[in-house]
Amino acid sequence: MKKSILLAIFASGLFCQTAPLVDILHITPRVYVLSNAHVHTEPGKSIPQASIVIRDGIIGEVGSKIAVPADATVLDMGGAHIYSGFIDGWVEVKTEAVQRTSRSHWNDLVHPEWVASDYYTYDEGKVDDLHSQGFTQIHVVPDDGIFRGQSSIIDLNAKASITSPIVSQIMDYKIRERGSSEYPRALLGTIAVMRQTLYDSEWYAESHAIYAKYPDKNEPITENVSLDVLGKARADKAPFFIRTEHETAASRAIAYAREFELKLWLLGSGYEYRRLSDIAKANPFIVLPLNYPGKPDISNPQRALQYRIEQLKHWDMAPDNAQKLVKSGLSIAFTTEGLKSPKQFRKNLILSVQRGLDEDAALAALTTTPAKRFGLSKTHGKIETGYHANLVVVDGSYFDESNAIKSVWVKGNKYDIEPGSGLLLPGEWNFSMNGMSGLLKLKGKPSKLSGALTIDTSVIDIKNLNVDGNQMTWTAKLDAEDFPGITRYSGKVENDTMLGFATNSHGDKFPFEGTNFKAAEANKIIKASASNLSVVYPEGAYGFGNTPDQPHSILIDNATIWTSGPQGILKDWDMLIIDGKISKIARDIKIPANNDVLIDGRGKFITAGIIDAHSHTAAASINESAQSVTSEVRIKDVLVPDDISIYRQLAGGTTTINVLHGSGNAIGGHNAVIKLRWGSNAQGLLLEGAAPGIKFALGENVKYDRYFKRYPQTRMGVEQIIRDAFTRARDYDQNLKSYAKKSRWRKTLIPPRKDLELDALVEVLDGKRLVNAHAYQQDEILMLLRVAEDFDFRVAKFEHVLEGYKVAERLAEHGAGGSSFADWWAYKFETYDGIPYNGALMHEAGVLVSFNSDDDEIARRLNLEAAKGVKYGGMSEIDALNMVTINSAKQLKIDKWVGSLEEGKDADFVVWSGHPLSTQSICAETWIDGRQYFSLQKDAELRTRDRLIRQDLIQKILDSEDDGNIAPEAPAPLSTNKDIIKCLWEDDMLREGGLK
Amino acid sequence: MRTLLSFLVIALQFTFASDQIPAPPQVTPILIQNGIIHTGSHGVLDQYDILFDKGTITNIEASITVSPEMQVIEASGKHIYPGLIAGISTLGLVEISDVSVTNDYNEVGEMTPEVRANVSYNPDSEKIPVVRSNGVLFVNTMPTGGRIPGQSSLMRMDGWTWEDATVNHPTAMHINWPDMKINTNPNSKISIEQQEDNRRNALVELNEMMDRVRRYKKMMDNLPKEGVHDIAHDLGLEAMIPYVTGTKPFFVHAHEVRQIEAAVHWSNSQKVKIVIIGGWDAGRVTNLLKENHIPVILQEVLRLPMRRNSHYSEAYALPFKLYKAGVSFCISTSGSGFQSAHVRDLPYHAAMAAAFGLPADEALRSITLSAAEILGVDDRIGSLDVGKEASLFIANGDILEITTQVEQVYINGTTTDMSDKQKTLYHKYREKYRQLGIIRGN
Repeated sequence: MKKSILLAIFASGLFCQTAPLVDILHITPRVYVLSNAHVHTEPGKSIPQASIVIRDGIIGEVGSKIAVPADATVLDMGGAHIYSGFIDGWVEVKTEAVQRTSRSHWNDLVHPEWVASDYYTYDEGKVDDLHSQGFTQIHVVPDDGIFRGQSSIIDLNAKASITSPIVSQIMDYKIRERGSSEYPRALLGTIAVMRQTLYDSEWYAESHAIYAKYPDKNEPITENVSLDVLGKARADKAPFFIRTEHETAASRAIAYAREFELKLWLLGSGYEYRRLSDIAKANPFIVLPLNYPGKPDISNPQRALQYRIEQLKHWDMAPDNAQKLVKSGLSIAFTTEGLKSPKQFRKNLILSVQRGLDEDAALAALTTTPAKRFGLSKTHGKIETGYHANLVVVDGSYFDESNAIKSVWVKGNKYDIEPGSGLLLPGEWNFSMNGMSGLLKLKGKPSKLSGALTIDTSVIDIKNLNVDGNQMTWTAKLDAEDFPGITRYSGKVENDTMLGFATNSHGDKFPFEGTNFKAAEANKIIKASASNLSVVYPEGAYGFGNTPDQPHSILIDNATIWTSGPQGILKDWDMLIIDGKISKIARDIKIPANNDVLIDGRGKFITAGIIDAHSHTAAASINESAQSVTSEVRIKDVLVPDDISIYRQLAGGTTTINVLHGSGNAIGGHNAVIKLRWGSNAQGLLLEGAAPGIKFALGENVKYDRYFKRYPQTRMGVEQIIRDAFTRARDYDQNLKSYAKKSRWRKTLIPPRKDLELDALVEVLDGKRLVNAHAYQQDEILMLLRVAEDFDFRVAKFEHVLEGYKVAERLAEHGAGGSSFADWWAYKFETYDGIPYNGALMHEAGVLVSFNSDDDEIARRLNLEAAKGVKYGGMSEIDALNMVTINSAKQLKIDKWVGSLEEGKDADFVVWSGHPLSTQSICAETWIDGRQYFSLQKDAELRTRDRLIRQDLIQKILDSEDDGNIAPEAPAPLSTNKDIIKCLWEDDMLREGGLK
Repeated sequence: MRTLLSFLVIALQFTFASDQIPAPPQVTPILIQNGIIHTGSHGVLDQYDILFDKGTITNIEASITVSPEMQVIEASGKHIYPGLIAGISTLGLVEISDVSVTNDYNEVGEMTPEVRANVSYNPDSEKIPVVRSNGVLFVNTMPTGGRIPGQSSLMRMDGWTWEDATVNHPTAMHINWPDMKINTNPNSKISIEQQEDNRRNALVELNEMMDRVRRYKKMMDNLPKEGVHDIAHDLGLEAMIPYVTGTKPFFVHAHEVRQIEAAVHWSNSQKVKIVIIGGWDAGRVTNLLKENHIPVILQEVLRLPMRRNSHYSEAYALPFKLYKAGVSFCISTSGSGFQSAHVRDLPYHAAMAAAFGLPADEALRSITLSAAEILGVDDRIGSLDVGKEASLFIANGDILEITTQVEQVYINGTTTDMSDKQKTLYHKYREKYRQLGIIRGN
């Protein structure tokens, strides 16, 4: 299947400019006029009946009335449409790990100095595939790493000429294979590496400059090529091009770019439409793959159950992503990345165009936009004098699949496109041979055809069918006059005609002809109009169409109000909410004029929204456990606003949760205190102003790393790890301070390097960051109290703290809170002395106690966990409820805003059908900031809505053609029995791939 | 005097905190007077008396005449319940799940039908007194792991030895139904073909096992009566005979709808009795279950829904769904080793079902009489009826409410030691804070 390259190449060009001649000089004239063409000079502009002059790879004159140069070869294009050559925005090249040197970055996933074009090798098959879709240039990127390296622009010709060696810095949220011991091994760590490395590059650049000026005052710093390259990229305002797998990753990249003021480009995921306004606001350049999902296999209802609504919706909505991006003003280009074969590209793009993507916009995304972004706007992307002769020649409009792409031109050299690659073989021909006539029918996929020949009334199956390019051969047993036995056929397909010869069993040849080809219906596009579905937030079941309203005034009338504040329990009282804040709690409040919402509180109980002091909900990654101290990682970087647990917890009255890092290492990452504002983006979940915090962990989870023997393996070692970390942090802090003093006026000394890990610990030392310490046994609790006291900080709270009851007086004296399980015990050795009286006994001894869930299921019934405080140890009912409201708020230092119903606080409250500690009460309404996020009625409406959407989609899918592409069933649900998760240290519990 | 006596007993237990001592067999008849009796079989009897002797309930009446040999307990305003029954559990077979040497519930091998749970039931497990002091007096303890993990045994929460504690053995032969799902994700490590193969093979192996049992039985049934011949016994096949012949039920662990459907069809084709264990998707196949008279032991009501789309109340509302559809079911806690200590929360699983539609008396039945029926012991336990075993308890309120306290447990007529490891530790450390002057009183 070697294609014929019509015209010889390399007559001139860069490659030969310096190479000595080996023997004799060959010259191939490279002056052409492509006449009689419909020239699309740029998106939105075209000249019918025009000619293009090409001289040595550069476009000369273009127009309808041009003088043909005397030395030109004229090629009649027969009315073909000519476009500027397309640019594929993301093609990965296989890189190979190079020998690391002292100049390399310490982490093997960080190699920004690599250059994609160094690794690019010409692969004829791949180039043919890209040519067949109209591509003449590719933006190549390294294929692996966090900082993968630099991208380049390469021409799709045999010489693989490099147009631009360095375009952008390529990055990815790379996560190592499970079980790896190397840092980072979770998304948390990956993002920390991204951040620390850029800070390092700043420090490196600054240090270099200082050293250059004051070599006598400083020790030279070690050369580091990675940091050097990154520093220069940032100084040059080079784009940072980040690969994203979903819209949440796009949001992460946007936050990252904002932190470091980067020019942001994204490799899109196709899910951008789900958070379009967020993405549009940041306005990154996006290179979009067109890998639309396969058809969900819903052939039986049991299997259909496994598909999530958002998966079914994506099947319907994915082809409209591009037009939505364009309509919101985003600048996009396209890529064949993610397709099983680049050959699906045109078909998918045409589908999007048929569904409403503007043709000019699509053409711009293939030509002018990438040319401009990649710095080629003066030479590429248009058909204009002086531009490179990169062209696509199509029988008609590119956006009509029946028009074949005839050739592409790269730098003035023509590459014919193999006919047949666009052949629509399944269908019918009028067949005639030797006076006989009939019908030739072919069906199936082009790669797997079958068919029959109907002559008069007899139907003869055709066999041994083989397609090679536009040649088609087969056999049929005609058993007719002149054709006894089996006859062999060999034909050539061109447009709607097939011409060929039949060879009968005697070896005689007869010409045959197939005419008036009619393509089979199966090849017609069936999803031709845009989806009529709208996005909900988050996408999928129970998502909201928009943010719940915040009524100006809400009056709760005659309810039993458990304030969790100084007013205690109030029977038949009223509560007034104005603009999301509690305005008044009194026995009888007059209904304000024009009151917006009136809640009849008779028989109902109102409590503050429940606060879960220890959760792992809504985080994509829980634990970066590859190092003993990972205080550089942050949960807020990995929040997943579409975790369905948010909604489920709202349905149990939970409004605020403390999302913690896992307990796999002694010092873990930053936590994030979030309000369960279902539908919001990750940023919008954060409880603004909440004190920052950090996770520590002691005991079994820390000391025995199940895979790798790493210090510590004993509780003795845990203590030393923590002491060591704080000693380092103290030294670091002093170095920073003394540097600031020394360099107040003139920076003559190399500054200490900014260290995200130690920054967090310095904040702990300064009392600005709250320590949430996972601990079970009394010895380790005392140990950490002692360490903290030695370093003069306070532990805010101990997590689980099942033996807190044994040392409650020390906890109280230190001022540490205890956040316990209500009644869990005996699942690990260190929990064998756990007792359900723990909460009550610590409370009685003066410790600030909360009950937490550490579990998505318990988190939706924390009021019942609180009831266990009454059962075990006899707490008063309100004291028990406070363990999941105001006490949690106090422990997290967010009690200024939430945790109790008091005037001036946020209107976060729950309406219960009965007594809040009764198993027979259910949560009827949940409000946050005076917005109703859950109610039984609203829930029923959402349920109906989702059922109908699902029904309609299933009908639509059943009614659609099988494209041979099956979407995977949703991954098995996460262990619903989260036994082993109990604050263990799974690195990425919710692997994000699983969230779609 | 009478109440004072019982109060003293409790106080003594707190003072002399030590390991709990099984009580001697009942010799004194015990009369509990004026209680609110939740019979479990015929409603609630307010202000009734209940009398039991030698371990058996002998009378329930509005007013039973007191005779001098009786120990009389005044229970006015108190609630009397039959002992709660957990349909599946690993209690007694595991002490600390994370410490592997304390785990005795998973024998090596895919098919180990010969193993039986009760022989490794540890009657001195610290968890048992904790569980029973919340009214759960029976658990069906089971082996886990592999395709056929072995046989479960119904255990009573008191006794000197596992033999004392055994109520009934075997209850059932357990089968973990093969996963019917095919992971079609292109990134899946196992190809679709391989998965389909594995699934098919799992069923083939199971059916081969059934077939081997039948042939083995035939061989053993037809051994020549006389003469010298070779005999080779197979303990596994031997153990399977009563189940393969339909005398006793297989407990088939199946959650997903395709598993449940496959298991039901299998039971019909094999002509065996089955009970579905787990049954999280049972609400999708209520007709199938009802038509085939297949009961379900629902594993946990307090759990997450199966799928992202599932309604938040899916698990909570499932018992009501089964009840409405007429499927026979009971509610159990998790059977996992990790959660073996949490059998004590059994009533709260039933309580959540009640909050989401299941009538309160049905909720109680789902952890008492319904469980006894499915476990095949409803002639002996599960309700407060004359002639049944006197395993019951007195509580100060509705057992479905968490804040309710269980005040006294009677197992097989004996007055059960209400102390446990946790109470012991509680009182020990209260004493610490008393010594430090931080707290006062008891």
